[in-house]
Amino acid sequence: MASVRSGQQSGARPSPASDPGARRQARGGGRPGAAGRGRSGRRASGGLGLYIAAGVLISAVFVVPLLWEMFRSLQPESTVSNPPSAATFGHLTFANYRTLLSGQDDIIRNVMNSLIVAVLTAALTAVVSTMAGYGFGLFRFRGSGLVFGLVLLAFMIPFQAVLTPLFLELHYLHLLNSLIGLALFYTTFNLPVGVYVMRNSFLQVPREIVDAARVDGASVTRTLLSVLRPLVLPGIATSALYAFLFSWTEFLGALSFMTNDSLFTLPVALSNVETGTYGAINYGLLLAGAVIAMIPCIVVYVALQRYYVRGLVSGALKG
Amino acid sequence: MAATEASGATPAAGWRAGWLRRRSAADRRNARVGLVFTAPALVLVGAFALFPLGFGVYISLTNWPLVGPYHFIGLSNYSSLIHDSVFLQSILFTLKYTAIVTIPIFVVGYALAVFVRSNRRGSTVFRTLIFLPYIVGLVAESYMAVVELQPSSGTVNFVLSKLGIVSDTTAWTVRTGLATTAVCILVVWFASGLTMMLLMAGMQSIPTDLYESARVDGASWWSAERRITMPLLRRSIALSLIISVVGSFLAFNQFFIITDGGPGTSTESVVMSIFQTAFADTDVGLASAMSVVLIIVVGLITFVQFHYLQGDVD
Repeated sequence: MASVRSGQQSGARPSPASDPGARRQARGGGRPGAAGRGRSGRRASGGLGLYIAAGVLISAVFVVPLLWEMFRSLQPESTVSNPPSAATFGHLTFANYRTLLSGQDDIIRNVMNSLIVAVLTAALTAVVSTMAGYGFGLFRFRGSGLVFGLVLLAFMIPFQAVLTPLFLELHYLHLLNSLIGLALFYTTFNLPVGVYVMRNSFLQVPREIVDAARVDGASVTRTLLSVLRPLVLPGIATSALYAFLFSWTEFLGALSFMTNDSLFTLPVALSNVETGTYGAINYGLLLAGAVIAMIPCIVVYVALQRYYVRGLVSGALKG
Repeated sequence: MAATEASGATPAAGWRAGWLRRRSAADRRNARVGLVFTAPALVLVGAFALFPLGFGVYISLTNWPLVGPYHFIGLSNYSSLIHDSVFLQSILFTLKYTAIVTIPIFVVGYALAVFVRSNRRGSTVFRTLIFLPYIVGLVAESYMAVVELQPSSGTVNFVLSKLGIVSDTTAWTVRTGLATTAVCILVVWFASGLTMMLLMAGMQSIPTDLYESARVDGASWWSAERRITMPLLRRSIALSLIISVVGSFLAFNQFFIITDGGPGTSTESVVMSIFQTAFADTDVGLASAMSVVLIIVVGLITFVQFHYLQGDVD
């Protein structure tokens, strides 16, 4: 598993606590606020086994329920919905997944909807945040402070509280029951994080690089695309990752703005499974659906977690 | 919320100005370029966040139905809110729920942060695993909870009845107290990983020398924690509490999915109440008035916490 790197975002915290070498180096450099925990080094020699045992136990509290539901989703509906019996409990099958994915409930379409919206949201957030971060970070213009403040104001506005006016607005714009409309809504509420992260990324680019690009006659756009893009790529990954996970797990907005079953995202479609819109309530299907909703989050997070943690560390997170 | 505190960004301001000062003709060009690049973000935030905010205030002064004509009715939506027992109950319930979960999330999150902040072997893996419930999201987990809270077939009753705590026919969502308990436990399990990550990040930025001098002075672990970590961690503590309190106050998914506000409307959260008023009762005007109240309450909570926890630091 990839290690959590907590300090890549900025010069402010060059110390991934997971990396003793980097930590020592950072302390040697004498940068304030840079070091990991010194005492841990002292304790590391003794009680490591105890630490790991405790860690495994604690982690189990958080992970076993998820693993347990994966296991349960492989039990046939009759096992899931009846009192547990030792005789049938271990019989595992992909029946729930087959039913769910075989078209009767059309859950594949809902998965695709979720995927389209999540990818679109991630891409839009990345592009718009990068542009804005470039503008705010490297170009001072009259009112830039005000504009930046306005963008960050969306931090303060809980989207739950503008749901009804937004519903009417999207209706007038013909963006209700539209995957694009949903993605625009998600993008907007991911912009504060994205713009904040990207502006900081551009502010950390060494000035010599920007100057050199200008001296070489690179245009503003060319500088961004060829010279700066590789340097701010981690920031782009952070913005896109937050947007993807937000969009993939969002429920209330999709529930409000989508009234057409075929456009439901996966979380909303599962509420139909839960309430038995398609006939009898089938808890086996519900579990399988929930596991399908959960897997991409885990895969994406474990693969890209250092970018996620960077975002947390930079303090750019909204409730 | 979180972002405002660091918007100064002083280190780079000098060179940025230097680059821009080179030619005065370039200043205007830079201004144009800056505006062009920031325009898409501004347009989106303006269209889908700021405009709805103002539009919502406007709608709250009307009797706007979901379809059909509307009239201005002044503040009568607000005055009817005062007598709206379902809405008032939802506010009380949400406050109660927030009060119940905040402390456990914080205490568990803090303890976990202390546990994983070291760079001992395994700590990075533990961080990842403990954080997973937050990443997976409350919606999928709520669906799982629905299945496992079923009387007689669910795992929760099976385990708890074997331990002699409840009977295996306990219907969790039929009684207000049980339903709230179940949701609260689920949420603490879900959210404490986030508090852990935020506090851990704060703890790791505290200079080690402080702990070394404390050790030389013979300070105990607990007094170092109390005298050094907690005061220097105020910013992170404020952030994590604001995120958790505001998140709790905006709760929707878990109640909509697990209890559907029931029994009756006893577990209906504020956001659920707004959702029902707008889309089930199609009274958009009243729902918007509720939303305005919600924004004010959330703003007040944020403001109070921010000032209380951050006021006397730096």
